[in-house]
Amino acid sequence: MSTFPIPAVLAVALCLAACESQRADVAQHQDIEGYVHLCSSCHGVTGHSVSPTFPILAAQQADYLEAQLHAFRDHSRADPHAHTYMWGMAAHLDDAAITKLAAYFSAQPASRGEPVDDKTAATAKSIFIDGIESRNVPACVACHGEKAEGQGAFPRLAGQHRAYLADQLRLFRSNARANETMHDNALNLTEPEIDALAAYLSSL
Amino acid sequence: MLALRFLLGLALVAVLASAHEAKALPSYARQTGQECAACHNGFPELTPYGRLFKANGYVFPGSTSDIPAVSAMAVNSYTHTQQPQPGGAAPGYGANDNFAFELASLFYGGAISSELGIGAFIQSTYNHISGRYSWDNTDIRWAHSSIIGDREWVYGISLNNNPSVTDLWNSTPAWRYPFQSSGLAPTPETATLIEGALAGSSLGGTAYLFWDRLIYGEIGLYHTLSPRLSTTLGVDPTGSNSTSGPALYWRLAVEPTWGRHSWEVGTFGLTASQLPGRVAGFGTDDTTDVGIDTQYQFLAADYSLSLQASHIFESSTLNSSFAQGNASNLHDSVSSSHIKASVSYDQTYAVTLGYFRVIGSADAGLYNGISTNNSPNSDGLIGEIDYTPFNHGGPGIWPWANIRFGLQYNYYLKYDGASKNYDGNGTNASANNTLYLFTWLAF
Repeated sequence: MSTFPIPAVLAVALCLAACESQRADVAQHQDIEGYVHLCSSCHGVTGHSVSPTFPILAAQQADYLEAQLHAFRDHSRADPHAHTYMWGMAAHLDDAAITKLAAYFSAQPASRGEPVDDKTAATAKSIFIDGIESRNVPACVACHGEKAEGQGAFPRLAGQHRAYLADQLRLFRSNARANETMHDNALNLTEPEIDALAAYLSSL
Repeated sequence: MLALRFLLGLALVAVLASAHEAKALPSYARQTGQECAACHNGFPELTPYGRLFKANGYVFPGSTSDIPAVSAMAVNSYTHTQQPQPGGAAPGYGANDNFAFELASLFYGGAISSELGIGAFIQSTYNHISGRYSWDNTDIRWAHSSIIGDREWVYGISLNNNPSVTDLWNSTPAWRYPFQSSGLAPTPETATLIEGALAGSSLGGTAYLFWDRLIYGEIGLYHTLSPRLSTTLGVDPTGSNSTSGPALYWRLAVEPTWGRHSWEVGTFGLTASQLPGRVAGFGTDDTTDVGIDTQYQFLAADYSLSLQASHIFESSTLNSSFAQGNASNLHDSVSSSHIKASVSYDQTYAVTLGYFRVIGSADAGLYNGISTNNSPNSDGLIGEIDYTPFNHGGPGIWPWANIRFGLQYNYYLKYDGASKNYDGNGTNASANNTLYLFTWLAF
């Protein structure tokens, strides 16, 4: 027992602690390093979350990210997961940190989701490009961009988790996530249409 | 040095040992500004985020609350056993159908220094049934994380009082189901060493590494407390064993995650040489526990599924007990298996079913007076229904409060060696079947 190398284990741990953290290389900004670490618990270090409970932040529009963090901080975004996780996370962020975090995650490379079958893609693409005039569903492309890459305060949808996108459309529809425009847009979508849109946008 | 004294001071001030489990801590919710459900899939079970919160030393910030990281909890209950317990379930209690204020705990739960990465879970418990106030689960840790080679390395050290209290999964003994048990119902006598024998009666240090949120390794050494220190900390040293040299604890786990799924597979164990009854001069009883475990969680937006299973194999060479005439065999073995599945809806309603089994070699010396056929064998089912209305936030006046209403039933198929007449007095295993209703309040 006396030969057990606990001191060595502790020494390695302490050495690792003493080493200058290299997270700064990832975070770009030394002063948001700690925040990036915190965000990474759910969203991944480079903004690529594993669970669709948490959105992919990589390559997201900086303006959108900034607006959402402000909305979490002032509690104007109050859907269930916002309340569970993000109100607390955002409470301590000042405006400067919010801007830097948004810049950091928006600068991370995008990824694509799982491919989607042709029939689903055709259904969704039609709504995405043309909308559904008879039901007052506008074309998504008008705000979210040709490749669903988003613009400014309008979020990137391409490559997002399929389940996250579907959840958000339902939250808009029920007004649990308050957004007047998206509430109106989602109100007349059917369940299969929501699933198809989510699958298609995720695959982009 | 000052920090060390502060930590020791905290541990002592917390004066906290019965192995009553602690649950979600309102002080963590205050610190992070998040709901209990962020870290817990039905407390005390941890979500992937909860595991990271713990591995990172309980220091994640968030809320702007200035309230100190102190929490309290209380458990009240009603216990009905299939047959009354002659003489009373405990001193001062009736033979059956007992209403009880069981226990109350005080906690320090949260960051001690966020800058240094030092945080703690420190519990002290007043057990109203035994009338003892003692230290309880304690885990004071320093943690740090780095990105090295594009991979996350979270590592730390912990000062704690229970092998496996530091673990991140709910398949190891300290934090496994059932999370609450009646203090007024009989339970089988035999468990392996790692299943609570050192809980609160030892102090140890562990070092751990969580690599890329995939591979977790931990190693630590524990030593039992002296009778004097035990008494100071509220732990009754009567009949206790002492370790001869440090006891070694280890843990290795792998947890792939995909989508909303996480699946952990691991091993853990404890090896110790002990002086039974603290009596020297007869050599030592040498015990090694080797456990394997697995946990699967599926956490959807409004419901979850969670499975845990573990199997612990214990091998003992009982030099001292054998020489003292307290064991009939020089070598004994025990295996302990647990499996449970639970589903919950909206982190508010949960149904759980578990099965446990203890099997071991018959030993007339060890189990004399407990089991008429000198066997430790027991197995049974434990079902539970829970209602936890405030998992998404408590009442406006104190949003960090939480309460759980639980209905539990323990059904024994075999108890201390037999299904029928296990004690030679005609008592069947089913006599111990227990209906347990409890409220657990934390604030």
